[in-house]
Amino acid sequence: MNFIKRGFLGITRKKGKSLILLAVIFILGNLISGAISIQQATSNVENNIKEKLGATATLEMDWLEYEKLSMEEQENFIFEEIGVDLIEEVGGISYVKYYDYNMSTWLGSESIQSYQGEGVDEEIIHYGPSMDFQLKGINYAPVLDFEEGKGSLADGRVFTQDEVNNGSSVAIISKKLAERNNLHVGDTFTLDNVVYDYDYETGEEEIADSRDVVLEIIGVFESLLLNEDLGENNDQGMMDWLDIDYQNTIYVPNKVVSAENFFQIEYYMKDDPEYAEMVEEEGTNFDYYEPIFVLNSHEDIEAFEQEANPLLPQLYHVVSTGDHYDNIAGPVESMSTLSRYVLFAAIFATVLITGLVVLLFLRDRKHELGIYLSLGEQRGKVIGQILIEVIVVAFVGITLSLFSGNFLASQVSDTLIEADSQPGYDDMGYYYGGSIYSDLTTDDVIASYEVTLDANYVLIFYGVGLATILISTLIPLVYIVRLNPKKILM
Amino acid sequence: MILEAKDLNYYYQDGEQRRYILKDTSISFEKGKFYAILGQSGSGKTTLLSLLSALDSPKSGTVLFNDKDIKKIGYENYRRNNIGIIFQSYNLIPTFTAVENVLVSMSITENEIPEDAKTVAYNLLDYIGIVKSKADRHVNKLSGGEQQRVAIARALATNVDVILADEPTGNLDEEIEQEIIDIFKKLAHEHGKCVVVVTHSNEIAEQSDQAFHLKKGVLTPYE
Repeated sequence: MNFIKRGFLGITRKKGKSLILLAVIFILGNLISGAISIQQATSNVENNIKEKLGATATLEMDWLEYEKLSMEEQENFIFEEIGVDLIEEVGGISYVKYYDYNMSTWLGSESIQSYQGEGVDEEIIHYGPSMDFQLKGINYAPVLDFEEGKGSLADGRVFTQDEVNNGSSVAIISKKLAERNNLHVGDTFTLDNVVYDYDYETGEEEIADSRDVVLEIIGVFESLLLNEDLGENNDQGMMDWLDIDYQNTIYVPNKVVSAENFFQIEYYMKDDPEYAEMVEEEGTNFDYYEPIFVLNSHEDIEAFEQEANPLLPQLYHVVSTGDHYDNIAGPVESMSTLSRYVLFAAIFATVLITGLVVLLFLRDRKHELGIYLSLGEQRGKVIGQILIEVIVVAFVGITLSLFSGNFLASQVSDTLIEADSQPGYDDMGYYYGGSIYSDLTTDDVIASYEVTLDANYVLIFYGVGLATILISTLIPLVYIVRLNPKKILM
Repeated sequence: MILEAKDLNYYYQDGEQRRYILKDTSISFEKGKFYAILGQSGSGKTTLLSLLSALDSPKSGTVLFNDKDIKKIGYENYRRNNIGIIFQSYNLIPTFTAVENVLVSMSITENEIPEDAKTVAYNLLDYIGIVKSKADRHVNKLSGGEQQRVAIARALATNVDVILADEPTGNLDEEIEQEIIDIFKKLAHEHGKCVVVVTHSNEIAEQSDQAFHLKKGVLTPYE
């Protein structure tokens, strides 16, 4: 009849009290279990969605902060540029896996035809100059889009660093574009860099100057955009449009784009002496790069932002895929916040209510406890006996609420999420600084939200539940420490 | 001497004044004897027993068990291994059976207990007058006299030499009282136990081997 056996006898011989304690723990356990289930589910959603979003970041002007400036501050504000040196400094941060900076321009062509999608019979009619081809300059020779799975090299090779550094007239084009124009690796093709002059009187544009841009094909890529798992609610039309756009993208070294841009600017400088004078005086740089940083993991986003933001000019900030998650995860995030509050409240209520119940039971058993002490039982063992009684009952209560709380959480959170979501408000996809795109929407987040009963949840719930019960039992156990058997028994 | 109280003082502080319950009380007990300490209500006899049983500590003075200060033995340790206490209101655990109550004290003591403790407990209860069918009953289904017998069995179960009893027959009728007295005499004379009973019953005093009278905290021989 040691204290362990006495503990178990205490449960079976006082069935009514054990059932009351079981009911209290079961009810409160449901709250804790439900809150943990929701926490786990939202955490899983966050991981899944962030995994899908990837870990990509860029540097951008924070226009919201700019708008907060006074009119005078806005007028005097000097817009600084994100230069190559700064991009390379940020790219050197340890969280960056690789990075690139791109300069793009749009050109047309008389000699090749653009890809216009499968089964499109009618030609696209252009009102104004046709600029079907995006010349995308790169600095990262292996091509970041290929590394990130947007496309893959189907034939030929990627750039060499020498070609990138020297601005060689070499290009990687899409397989669909190559097929449409019967082009192969080693062939050359010509784009037209046309400078238009706008006539303010007639409202018409006239060709003012032009030159041929001859590029040698060194590689052919395949678009993987349509192969991506885009979730249940993705907009196929939008994806088709994006794919067509990507098939007409031509990768070239940045310096090729820079040279073609300068050809246009040079014309405007010749045409407008005042503009030329201003450019010479201010030494304006026309090389605008869009940096893109691929991080080692989405978990590094926050740390990367903390390290990168102080390096940036005033009002610039890091924009990342994590920001997109914040935009689309509203309903899940509010569930997460709500469940966090519920969890804290439930733990507090459990400590308070279970503590009070245990204290009342102890007061009721004062006589029995006094007898053990009068027989010379160590107070530690008397405390151990009570702990066994409470923890065994708690274990049963927690096990029951493990399943019921999880089930309730699933039902309640589904209802709350549906009520909180606003379908369609962000279902058009999302661009970051023009360089990062995701079409994951709130619907995708909600679709991936699922309350499950996994090992992690079970372990956390047992841990939190039993620790809470332990705390709520330990506080009233001070009562035993203060018990005086003489006062009770004599 | 197996148990000895030396110059025990116990008082309550009432403002500046001390209200003495025991004043320089000394008394000694030996094995094989049945002692009675008589006194009116408030005479300090229960306080004396609480000090002898280490349920309380004196303001000054010492209690020696086999010439060793019980404070040094440790109060809990002393209660666990050296004495058995019997209370006026039995103080049994109501949700347990008679035999379970006896087994509780056997599990708490560090004294050597035979392996088959349950059989020993049944035998002990039988010796005290509780047959097996009653030993398996919950104690609240037993009569007062039977409950007190269970309490005596519980005190004896730890194989101790000293039995301290506080008004053990206070709630019992005369016939049962005599049966309990007989048990105490048997324990002292046949089993060599030192039995100390505090009581207001002259009957017990007259049948004891040595009796004392406690009045206003001062002990005198009973005449």
